[in-house]
Parts: sequence; C-alpha cells; structure tokens
Amino acid sequence: MTESSTESFAVLGLFPSADALMEAIPKVRASSLGRLEAYTPYPVHGVDQALGQRRSPLGGMVFIMGVLGAVAALLFQWWVSAVDYPLVTGGKAPSSWQAFVPIMFEVMVLFATFTAGLGMLLLLNRLPFFGHPVLGSKAIRGITRDRFALAVEAEGEFDPAAARAALEAAGALEIEILPAHPREPAFTAEYIQRSAAGIFVACVVSGLLMYSMVKLMPALPPMSHMLEQPRLDPQKPSAFFKDGHGMQLPVAGTVARGFLPSGLAAPEDGARLVNPLPMTSAVLARGRTEYQIRCTVCHGALGDGVSTLTAAYGAKPANLLAPAVRADPDGVIYGTIVLGKNAMPSYAADLPEDARWAVVHYVRALQRAQNAKDEDLK
Amino acid sequence: MSAERSTKILWSATALGGAGVAATFFVSGAPRFWANWVVWFLFLFTLALGALFLVALEHLVSARWSVPLRRIPERMASLLLPLCAVGACALGALPALYRGTRPAAAHDPLLAGKAFWLSVPFFSARVLFCLALGLVPLVVLVRGSLRQDVDRDPRFTVRARRFAPVCMAIFALLVTQAAFDWISGLDPGWYSDVIGVYLFAGSFLSGLAATVLAVIYLKGRGRLPAIRFDHTYNLGAFLFGFIVFWAYIAFAQYMLMWYANLPEEVVWYQAHIDGAWLPVALLLGLVHFFVPFFALVPRDAKGDLKRLRWVALVVLAAHWLDLYWLVFPELGRPPLFSWPELSFALFFVGATLLWMRNAMEKGEDMPVGDPFLKEGLEFRL
Repeated sequence: MTESSTESFAVLGLFPSADALMEAIPKVRASSLGRLEAYTPYPVHGVDQALGQRRSPLGGMVFIMGVLGAVAALLFQWWVSAVDYPLVTGGKAPSSWQAFVPIMFEVMVLFATFTAGLGMLLLLNRLPFFGHPVLGSKAIRGITRDRFALAVEAEGEFDPAAARAALEAAGALEIEILPAHPREPAFTAEYIQRSAAGIFVACVVSGLLMYSMVKLMPALPPMSHMLEQPRLDPQKPSAFFKDGHGMQLPVAGTVARGFLPSGLAAPEDGARLVNPLPMTSAVLARGRTEYQIRCTVCHGALGDGVSTLTAAYGAKPANLLAPAVRADPDGVIYGTIVLGKNAMPSYAADLPEDARWAVVHYVRALQRAQNAKDEDLK
Repeated sequence: MSAERSTKILWSATALGGAGVAATFFVSGAPRFWANWVVWFLFLFTLALGALFLVALEHLVSARWSVPLRRIPERMASLLLPLCAVGACALGALPALYRGTRPAAAHDPLLAGKAFWLSVPFFSARVLFCLALGLVPLVVLVRGSLRQDVDRDPRFTVRARRFAPVCMAIFALLVTQAAFDWISGLDPGWYSDVIGVYLFAGSFLSGLAATVLAVIYLKGRGRLPAIRFDHTYNLGAFLFGFIVFWAYIAFAQYMLMWYANLPEEVVWYQAHIDGAWLPVALLLGLVHFFVPFFALVPRDAKGDLKRLRWVALVVLAAHWLDLYWLVFPELGRPPLFSWPELSFALFFVGATLLWMRNAMEKGEDMPVGDPFLKEGLEFRL
C-alpha cells in the first residue's frame, strides 16, 4: 500500500443517466488514473465491457470443479463397489459404469454449484466484508435511486486531484472523495463465536421442530416410508408368520453355500477324495489363517500336537507330523475335519468346503517343513 | 460462386443422387432402400418440426429476442409441404420393414392384441392424418407471418399467440406419432414410453442447428446485419442446453432398461449395441453429446459464428446418425454404409437445399410487420 492510497480510497463522480455514464467511461479510462468501477441502481448493459474488466475466472473454476466432481464420484464408486468390497447388486457386474453415471452427475452438479456460489462470494467478491466505503458515502442515496456513479479507485500512485479533474471533464454532476477505509479482518473471534452460536441455535431449533412434528403431532408425519415399510426385522415379532416370530428357520433340506453335505460316514471314507484346490500361496495363506483359528489351540502352531492344552489338561491331541498322518491321503484329513475323531468335534459347521481343503494343504506344508530334505533348499 | 452456378451444381448433385436412389432399389433390394428412405424422411420431418417448434415457442412464451430470427425457422418449416409427398411414399416401407403389418403378425401371440393398430390401413391413416395436420400450423403461423410483412397488421401477433398452445399440441402429436410408428414400430415387441421425448430432443436440436446454419449463411451475404452476438449467443445456448437434454433422455432410457433387464426391452438394445453396432453407438454418443458439449462449454463459444457453424454441422450429422442407428439394425445386418447411403444423402440434401434456396427468398428476412421486432433487435444479454 502506498502512502497516497491511505489518504483516499476513491474519487466518485455522479452522472444523471446510464447514457452519460457510458459516455464518460471511455474518457476517464483514457487518462488511466486508477481502477475504474461503476455503481448503478440497476444493471446497465455493456458497462463491464466499457470498463474493460477482465473476464471472471469463475466459469473456468466451475468447469474444473465439475469435471473433478464427476471424476471423483467415478473413482469413489469404482473403488467402493468393485475394489474394496465387490458386491453384486441386481445381477450386475460390480464395476458397472451405467450405475455410476447418476451419482457422477449429481456430484458434478454439487461440486460445480458450490464452487460457483462459494467461489463467487468468498474468493472473488471477498466476502464477508462489512462496510464498503461506498456504502458510507453521501452518494449512496443517489446510487440506489437515480444516479450512476463512476469511481476511480486508488491503485499505485494515486492522484485524487487528477481523478477529480478527469471526472469533471467527463461531465460528472457531483464529485465525492471517499476516504481510505482500512479493510478490517472479517473473521474476528467475535464473528466466529457469533456464527458458531447462530449455527448451534439453528440446529437446536430445527431439531426441536422436527421432533415436535414427528412425536407430538403424528398427524403431520414426515417422509418415513422407508422406516415404516411392511418388513421383517431381526429379533422382532411379526404377525405375518403363524408362530409370531419375524425370524424363521430355514426350510428343511436347505443347504448353505459352501456347506454341501460330504456324505462321509468315517474319516477313512474320504480317501477317494482329491483336493480340488491348487497349492498356491493364496490358498496356503487362507489355510494358515483357518488353521490358526481352529486347529492351533490343540494341534499346536507346528502341528506337532504340543499345545497349551497339553500342559493344562493333560490332553494328547494327535501329532500331525507323525508318519501315520503323513501317510494318510488328503481325503482322510479332510474327513477328519468334517466328522471329527476321538475327542475332536466336527468342524463341518465352522469351515466351508474350500476352507477345509485349504487347511489340508497347510497341514501338508507343516509336515514338509518339519521333514525337509536337502533338495528342498535348491 | 455465382448463384446460377451453385444452382446448377445443386441440381446435378440432386439428379446424381436421384439416380443412385433409383439404382439402390434394384441393386441393393427393397429393405435397404426403404430403411434409407425412412431415415431421410424422419430426418427432414423432425428438422422441419423442430423449426416449427422454435416458431411456436416464441409465440407461446412471447419471446422477444428471437423475433428478428423468426423468419428463418418459418421458412424452414415450409419443408413440411414437400415432406407430405416423401412421407406418403415412405408408406411403401411398411411391407418391407414393418413386420407388424404382415399377415403373420395376427398369429404372433405378442402382436395379436395390437394387430389392428399395426395393420397397414390404420398405420397409413395415422401417417397421412399427421402429415396433413402438420400443414395447419404452417398455414396459420407461417403464411400469416408472411402476410404480416405486407399488411403490418398486429392482430396476427395476437392470433399467433392464441394458436401457439394448439400448435404445441399438434407438434407433440406429430413427434410422438413419428417416434412410435416409424421407430418403435420397426420392432413392435419393444416399447419405450420415452422414445417420443427422445425424438423430440433430436428434432428440436436439428431444427436449431439448421436455423444456426441459415443465419450464418444469410449473415455471410449481408442480409441479417442487425443480428448481433446477443442473438447468436441465445441460439448457441439453446443448442447447448438441448445437447444435454438429448444425452439425458438417451441415457435415462438406456439405464432403466439396463437395470430392469426385462427380456422384451433388452433385446432391442442387444440389436443396437452388440457386435458391429457398438462402434456406431459409441460414435453416436461422441458426436451427439461429447464433441458439441465440450465445444460449446466456454461462454464466448456459444455466440461465435465460426464455432457454431461446425458444431451445427456436427449436430445435424449426429441427428442423421441417431436415426440411422435407430432404424438400420432392424435389417438384422452389421452397419451398412456405402454408395446407396451416399446417394440418398446427396439426393435429399440437394433437394432440401434447392427448396430452401427458394424458401429463403419468401418474404422479408425479418418479420418486419411484427410489432415487437424493435424490441427483439434491441435485445441484450
């Protein structure tokens, strides 16, 4: 800020009509004394071109943010519904662009409108700004009624006398010199406190209104069709079924996915079965996870049958590394998991089909680990 | 280029195209000939209706900005007159393309219930009635407007405003009939309630694009000196808005059918986006939405005549491609584009330009008798 601009903010010239203003603008503009601004009681066509104002960057901002919104919505939906938690909805592939388009459109509009509104008010108009110098001028009464003002605003080396002369030469009826008005910080502590209090009061009032409408005036229900639809809730009674329960047992003979009955009578019957899973690192990782959850507690982390239970209860779980178990076909270990053996219960209800076979692979890996040969190192 | 020379070129192009059109019938067979004929009839019919809609819209909402431009869509709407003959000829396509009109349809359990609706006599009656009905707004709005040039009678403006709602109803009926009979009728088992709105979007777009091109043509000849950036900007903004509207409707129709996945609905899309038709569908999305949309996003672009000219040409080409994509897959073959399609284009574009050259000389270039012309000329954004 230079010294001269601290003395005056602008020189304001009042003109009697829009035409007079439009005629004066090029004359004052030619002398290039400072930044020009027009204040009129109603929008005057062409005044922004006459003032030579730069095109507002708002359009570009809105475009960029709109594109960003659409792209962000696309990536978010793709990641959520196809990558992080793939979920088949309505028989469609998890990454169906058709389903993403409406949300992309909405988020694009949201980003664009917020950029337009907030960008205009906060960034370009630099609001909140309490007390623009023109609002405190004598001319403001005329400007809001029937006068058209042209202001030469201080910019760099500002010469108020020259600006006054230029405005007079251009036909201004009255001249007013507006004193400099230091721009006070808008976001003071008091302003923030008041805003926060206002938002709090608004939330409380609207919440109370909503509460009173829903609870005290049931004749005026809000939109609650989703809440009050005829549906079955878990652990809740229901008049729909004869026994009065909302939750029902599956129909007799229902088979859950992955829990097809094995049809084995004894673990040894499984000898004819072949492990359908390949021995890949992913399968072994799954086998290890399931083994550590279900098996380690008795058979031990190494599969040697030595575990915490042995010391505490004197139990003797099978040593999976024993030659007999090593000689067993995969299907017999599978059968043991399904049917149990001696004190071991059946794990058929806990492990689905593919998890059982993964555990079998992992047990084989444990056996191999404890009986490694020289050529394994090659 | 002198006027005489360009007329000669137009006549020879039309004649050459006409020869190709005749050859198509005998060489490529009736189905392909009639598919081309229906596409070109619909293209010109929707274009003329779109221009008529622009005229009626101005009267309906008492728009002022478009008064200086109104004579151009009025002249364009006069295409409805020769289109009566083209549309009546298009009835020849019924046995070749529209299986609902064949006797076998009566035994098809899916079509038996609507056999009367699809039958040749009732189909033809609807088409002829609608073609004749299209002449009513032409007489009231366009002929009346031309007369006002001479007698300067402001009562026409009042009459036009009163007639505009009727014209809108006629317009809606005509566009819906064209969409339901000529397009949906190709596959009578398929139905889409929104196909009429879809065709309306294309219709208004092509009418606007043709108006833009005519404005640029006349301005280039110094005949519309009073038309400023503000007027062309409004035309461009209209174009921009309806490009989005078309995409919205097209996608809404597609997405609902994709989601519901009902067999009787998706078979239509399977025929139109599977296999060799997929590139055509993608190209349609590109030229009917993405290219013109992004071309018209900047503010200055909407009023820039150079930009508007190529965008309007792209929109017109896209509207043709839209109709081609709607009609041709019903032939049950991969996309066909060869000399028959080019001959039809040459013939119909040539004939239309010849008609429009004549029509461009009808009346003054602006509706000089309209009491609101001055207000329209002073229009500012």
